[in-house]
Amino acid sequence: MPPRRLLSRVALALAAAFPAPAPAQVRASEAASVSQTVDGTRITIEYSRPRGRARDSLFGKVVPWGEVWTPGANLATTLEVTKDVRVNGRPLSKGKYSVWMVVRPETVWTVVLDPRAQRYHTERPDSTAEQIRFPVHRSERPFSEVLTWSFPAVRTDGATLAMQWGTSYVPFDIEVRPTYLLPFPAQQAAPYLGTYSWEWNGPPPDSTMKPMTLTVSYANGTLMGRWEPPPFPEWETFALIRIADNWFIPGFLLKGELWEVAREMVLEFSVRAGRATAFEVRDETDKLMATGKRKP
Amino acid sequence: MDLEKTATSRRRFLGACAAALAAGLIRARPARAAMALLASAGPHPTPRPGITADKVLTREQLADQPNAIPVFDQVREIPEVVDGIRCQCGCADHPGYYSLLSCFEGDAMAKSCPVCQGQGRLARRLHKAGKSLDEIRSAIDARYG
Repeated sequence: MPPRRLLSRVALALAAAFPAPAPAQVRASEAASVSQTVDGTRITIEYSRPRGRARDSLFGKVVPWGEVWTPGANLATTLEVTKDVRVNGRPLSKGKYSVWMVVRPETVWTVVLDPRAQRYHTERPDSTAEQIRFPVHRSERPFSEVLTWSFPAVRTDGATLAMQWGTSYVPFDIEVRPTYLLPFPAQQAAPYLGTYSWEWNGPPPDSTMKPMTLTVSYANGTLMGRWEPPPFPEWETFALIRIADNWFIPGFLLKGELWEVAREMVLEFSVRAGRATAFEVRDETDKLMATGKRKP
Repeated sequence: MDLEKTATSRRRFLGACAAALAAGLIRARPARAAMALLASAGPHPTPRPGITADKVLTREQLADQPNAIPVFDQVREIPEVVDGIRCQCGCADHPGYYSLLSCFEGDAMAKSCPVCQGQGRLARRLHKAGKSLDEIRSAIDARYG
């Protein structure tokens, strides 16, 4: 067995035997992690961060073209997702994967996610059916001395995950499964449509608040709520998102897309003879916040 | 529109709502939010035969948390129901945990956790309304899962 491979095997065995936290030790490539939660799905990258150390041509020389390389150092970089996601459009099951890239002189590289998460960086995986492979586009950015993973963009339905080392920048998209859906069947909306009184259970949260009404309407396939007057000028309308029969939580929209969901309050409608007649609003502790009755 | 200001206003409003009705509990939210991220969905437990509320903290044991006394009293009425519910706040992975009932015993996370309290109140409210354990579980999953 070649000495380098033997050393790798020993290092891997040691790493497995003595997992983190490691004792105080200065490493050429220090350990790091970055994590982002999107709609309840946690996405985590764990890696070691090699530095450029004034080496020229990081890619093509330090990392030879065509090499299956882990974008990190020491133990292979890992990607962990706590729920099923899609990565650059491809389904990826909940779990932890070692991350590899096939680097090329061209701008299209290949990312390989291997379910064998714990590997040393020289233990390059053979191609298997369990791996997820997809092309990514490398672009140029201002020089970064330390290899860096980041989430430069976060959306309500996903995030951009990116690796940069030197001037090479490789982003890819992670899409999560949405918890809340805005579309609401038109025929099921009818029982709720109308205007309701809104009575606080006790003094209003803000002493300057005026008596309010809640109007429920149906627009663009979504059940909408509107307070008049709104408790804040910018809080005029919100989507009513159904979480159970006759139970709804408010979802705030930005440019027609769900931006934030307030699970702190639930509207529970009472439906009699196919028509909502009243509702209760309950907070996170299930205490009654407010009640409403349909206005004639 | 100033998005940050908008978000702050909404949060401030929701916080004010909660604070007005559940004074003191709002302080526990950051810790709860962090725990909720760790919460893993799992099956609801099977109520233990003959389970009682003997270990649910008493009024005397809650002297430092008087606001929590009513919900502990409510849970004490229905141990056989609460013992069949998995807590959704993240504490279900703690050693010694069996069911939502565990949150009202011993160190009693429910003394300060709004989610534990909310589930306890909701369970009792729906039980009083004649709902079955499965219906209560479904409601808790929809509300807190």
